[in-house]
Amino acid sequence: MKKSHILSWASPLVLMAMLSLSGCSSVQPWEKQNLAKPEMTFEADRLDTSYTEHIYSSKEGASGGSGVGGGGCGCN
Amino acid sequence: MAMVSTTRSTVFSALIASAAMLLPSAKSAYADAAPEQAIVGMKYLNYHDSQSGDTAQTAGMSRDRINVNALSFMGMVPIAGKWSVAATFIEDSITGASPAYHSSGFPSSNAKHDASSGASGELRHAGDLTVTRYFSRGTLGLGTSYSQESDYISRGISLNGTLSTEDKNTTLNLGTAYNSDTISLDKPAVVASKQQVAPGRKKVYSGLVGVTRVLSKNDIFQLNFTYTHGHGYYSDPYKAPDVRPNHRNMFTVMTRWNHHFEGPDGTARLSYRYYSDTFGVRAHTFGAEYVQPLSKGWELTPMVRFHSQSAADFYVPVGAAELANPSTPTPPPVGTLHYSEDQRLSAFGAFSYGMKVSKDLGHSWLVDVKYEHYQQRYNWCINGHGDPGIANFNIRDIQLGISRKF
Repeated sequence: MKKSHILSWASPLVLMAMLSLSGCSSVQPWEKQNLAKPEMTFEADRLDTSYTEHIYSSKEGASGGSGVGGGGCGCN
Repeated sequence: MAMVSTTRSTVFSALIASAAMLLPSAKSAYADAAPEQAIVGMKYLNYHDSQSGDTAQTAGMSRDRINVNALSFMGMVPIAGKWSVAATFIEDSITGASPAYHSSGFPSSNAKHDASSGASGELRHAGDLTVTRYFSRGTLGLGTSYSQESDYISRGISLNGTLSTEDKNTTLNLGTAYNSDTISLDKPAVVASKQQVAPGRKKVYSGLVGVTRVLSKNDIFQLNFTYTHGHGYYSDPYKAPDVRPNHRNMFTVMTRWNHHFEGPDGTARLSYRYYSDTFGVRAHTFGAEYVQPLSKGWELTPMVRFHSQSAADFYVPVGAAELANPSTPTPPPVGTLHYSEDQRLSAFGAFSYGMKVSKDLGHSWLVDVKYEHYQQRYNWCINGHGDPGIANFNIRDIQLGISRKF
């Protein structure tokens, strides 16, 4: 079990090192207009996401992944 | 050792699946900036779930289960270009019943309506508050949450931060949270073997590390790892037979990729999550939606999602005696320390589809309506063997929302 935990934490460090080394040209600020669109964010509608993730986590055996925080419930 | 090898190979597989979503020429990144406008919003949810006995083994099990009406409010205010304060509040009204074991064991119609095992009439109130400080190359946010119903209280605190490179092309995401839950065990609907005056308690610690990168002027990618350690009362007070371990560690890998199509001005939003925990549940979750703006402020967003999970190690499937007579649960294997007949810990696949329609009304008003249909089936599982004694589970929900920016 301890080996799998070490691997769990080493994996993100390895992947982030890979990401930082790849590619050489960069998108300039004046080219980022599409990136600024609300649909290009990862949390576009806070209330929709809250309802939807609450439903899935209440009815399935898996939960989480996109962030930490927020409360639990005795949902059945 | 076998468990370690299995965990290593599944984590590696998840990494490969995530890397497959990377474009070969990863370039720049996009970091959150201080908001310029305040926003308030309200959203109503109407939720209904049911089970359907569509097979020979589950014939006769069809019935409605839970109904929820919920109303939530949110507000976010930027302050002085360097801070924001965001809050949400929700009230759920829950009626209906859930099974005590597998797809059976519902409370009788004249049972006292008390707490939320599935006996009718339950209110839940929850709220959260987040204060965020924006720096030139990052953010730091402190959050707190509270949820209360007649038999369950959850309190939480979280700290989240981001740190960007100077060109704001790569952003490191870090987060940590602590939750403390109190579970009442003295309610009349609690099964007799679990009745006690002292409440159950649960403490959960979680951490996140991730990276967000803009890969091109039309692509943004995120990879997050989370680890959660929890100990305390995990059994379900209203289900029997059900005795769960007093700790649960969870690990997730989540990748998300948004791609903008310049031609139609639409955006594809893709996601994949791998989940693993010490209950023995392993899950793969795929999500896809497409945002298409139309003329006159209309916008359509169709979505699909597929989730597959293996069963918990201590899940007890429906036995032959229970199939013949669903009024009695299947006895757990003799000598087992932990066992559960909760459908949510069985192996199944779940497919959902939906559509969201929104309309910009002008003057910064936005309205939206969303419909989603969801179904769980034992034989849709792709990483385990489902329990044919479990009835199909169905959800239908509708959301209506309105918001305004200032």
